[in-house]
Amino acid sequence: MLIEVADLKLSIHANPVLNGVRLTMQEGEIYGLLGPNGAGKSTTLSVLTGLRAADSGKVNVLGLAPMQQKRELHGKLGVLAEDSGFYGWMSAHGYLHWMARLYGRELSAVEMARRLEQVGLNAANRQAIKTYSRGMKQRLGLARALLNDPQLLILDEPTNGLDPRGRREIHDVLLELSREHGVGILLCTHLLDDVDRLCSRIGIINQGKTLLEGVLAELLADKTGANRYRLRVAASSATSGTLPQGVKLLAQEGGWLHLDIAPGVHPDAAWRELFALGWGITEIRSEGGGLEELYLNITETEVVA
Amino acid sequence: MNPIILIASKESGELLGSGRGLGWLLALSVILSVLALLLVSNTELSLLDNAQVVYMVMGTITALGGLLALVLGSDAIAGEKERGTLIPLLLTPLTTTQMVLGKMGGQVVAWVLMYALSLPYLWAVGSSGQNLVQAIAYLALFGTPVVLGFGFYAIGLSARFGNVRTALLAALITLMLLASPLLIGPSLRQSTLGKLFDMVNPFSAALNTFDSVVIDSQPFSMQLGRFSVTLIWLALTLWFARRSAQAMEI
Amino acid sequence: MKRIMSLFVLLGALLGAGSAWADAPVQITLTPDSHNPAQPKMGDWLKFHSVIKNTSSQPVSGLVVWISLVQVDPGKEQPVDLEDWSAHKAALQPSLAPGQSFSVDWPIRLIQAGNYRVVISAAERTASTLLASPFADFHVERKPTIESKRILPVALGMPLLIAAFTARRLRRRM
Repeated sequence: MLIEVADLKLSIHANPVLNGVRLTMQEGEIYGLLGPNGAGKSTTLSVLTGLRAADSGKVNVLGLAPMQQKRELHGKLGVLAEDSGFYGWMSAHGYLHWMARLYGRELSAVEMARRLEQVGLNAANRQAIKTYSRGMKQRLGLARALLNDPQLLILDEPTNGLDPRGRREIHDVLLELSREHGVGILLCTHLLDDVDRLCSRIGIINQGKTLLEGVLAELLADKTGANRYRLRVAASSATSGTLPQGVKLLAQEGGWLHLDIAPGVHPDAAWRELFALGWGITEIRSEGGGLEELYLNITETEVVA
Repeated sequence: MNPIILIASKESGELLGSGRGLGWLLALSVILSVLALLLVSNTELSLLDNAQVVYMVMGTITALGGLLALVLGSDAIAGEKERGTLIPLLLTPLTTTQMVLGKMGGQVVAWVLMYALSLPYLWAVGSSGQNLVQAIAYLALFGTPVVLGFGFYAIGLSARFGNVRTALLAALITLMLLASPLLIGPSLRQSTLGKLFDMVNPFSAALNTFDSVVIDSQPFSMQLGRFSVTLIWLALTLWFARRSAQAMEI
Repeated sequence: MKRIMSLFVLLGALLGAGSAWADAPVQITLTPDSHNPAQPKMGDWLKFHSVIKNTSSQPVSGLVVWISLVQVDPGKEQPVDLEDWSAHKAALQPSLAPGQSFSVDWPIRLIQAGNYRVVISAAERTASTLLASPFADFHVERKPTIESKRILPVALGMPLLIAAFTARRLRRRM
């Protein structure tokens, strides 16, 4: 297990900031940590990275106790903290070289070029960092977090300040790291689109407490009934017969077919099978039950309660 | 490469590359030049013995070195925190001691530069007088622990307060306090309290040694007590800086 | 007649004053130190010895003795502020028995060139008379100890050198 946190509690200046956070994360997983501003996400990350000691609870990261085994942990961990700064007078090239040496690594020219290329900074690598845009600094921050080839990557708002193309590129880097290198990624973000696209598991915290944690698809199914869609099909196409497993026809009205996709069944797979059955699908629309609804439901319910 | 050297090289690169450090050196040279020109042009000052002038210049350099150490030290941790560069450093496998010593490396470079800068001035005012070589040696021997002690002390304050202005203010108040025996005049210095304060004050220890060695030509054996005071000051401030950095909250 | 009377009154007053001087209970001597340089220069130290003796038959109490310095160059006659010249400006003797004496040394650092006159004065707590030693004169020659030919190149050159280096570094970074 990469991260194991149970009943984490922490007060700062007598104010309870964390009051029962739980989080479990397996190897190769991309985990989305969600919550409104001030929910305790960043403080949780501080505890996980050994920057702050918890008052009570169990905290285990990569099999290590963050406060007691800080140095060992930091050697295996890559972190992109929110609003983390750089030495503006250095170039990206010089900065990464210097940081790599702090991890005891000497980067060859080829290796450096690869790392800069990975985050799309090769062209500007000799410029002073103070001339970089926010998006470029985010990319450099990601390159810094990857310097020690970490087993676990903790990213706080990694796509902040990036344009849609930049976000997509960072998504691709993270997916590659997770799929091809088995790197676990803990993503702390308020961008639900990032979570939707990247994460297999999520945890939602509010007021310092984990309200919900689990596999994203299962949570969506459990908390919103299922994934519901409405499909428009060509009039000539056949829509009768046996439906693929996990797909249930709920209703048919005004040229729309209302379907329910069971948890665990990927919608893309269901559409392929329906096409194969001769369904002339011309339009697909999601009918709620998405992450945003789940997030709003959970956080609002808790606030009202 | 040793992480302490890495941090120190970054610190000194920042100092010399950013213009801030060069500005400090320029300011220091202007102050020393003004002092030297005063020594030539002012009737009373121009009559001072070479040894007394050398003593004055040594005291000025030590005070300015302490001041620079306080400014750099106050920024060392709190400044990094304010600029968001501290967390990435803390997330490397660096220990707090390595970080504190690395930060100090930058200050060592600054002090060495200041010391080197002061040599032409010492030569100019003291080459025809007595004990110039001793002055150069004792400035290194006593000035270094006093100045670096101020640096460690300011790093400790910087870690404790997490705010450059507060740390700098507290550090400057301490410097004023330690320099107060020199400001309040000889009569109060001769009181029991004044003597006691003088005995444990590292700044006084350095100045009294400069006086004893350069003006009165006294041997090192007579400076051992005062040398111990400066070393104890250095050790205590190092301990304070380490403790403060370890207890630092993000 | 009136004129003659006035003359007598004046003579009487002068004689009275003279007897008061002659009746001074304390005698002060002032002698330069034998090691004083023959031709003192600015920055040199001079030392003067004074002996204060109770020459009366009555004890003297609360005697304050102090040093005064006067510049006597023509056109520049003025008392000198001893602030930079000497830290040893006065001595106090609580009581002095008849025939008893005490001595005080007066070191002086020569700050400015010129002709000077030094005098030691004394005052008794109760008496209203000022007692003074004879004068001692000395001349101070000009001598700057800090040589401007060494200081000026350093004092002007160093800031310029650093400013040039700073400008070069900053220009290279831009």
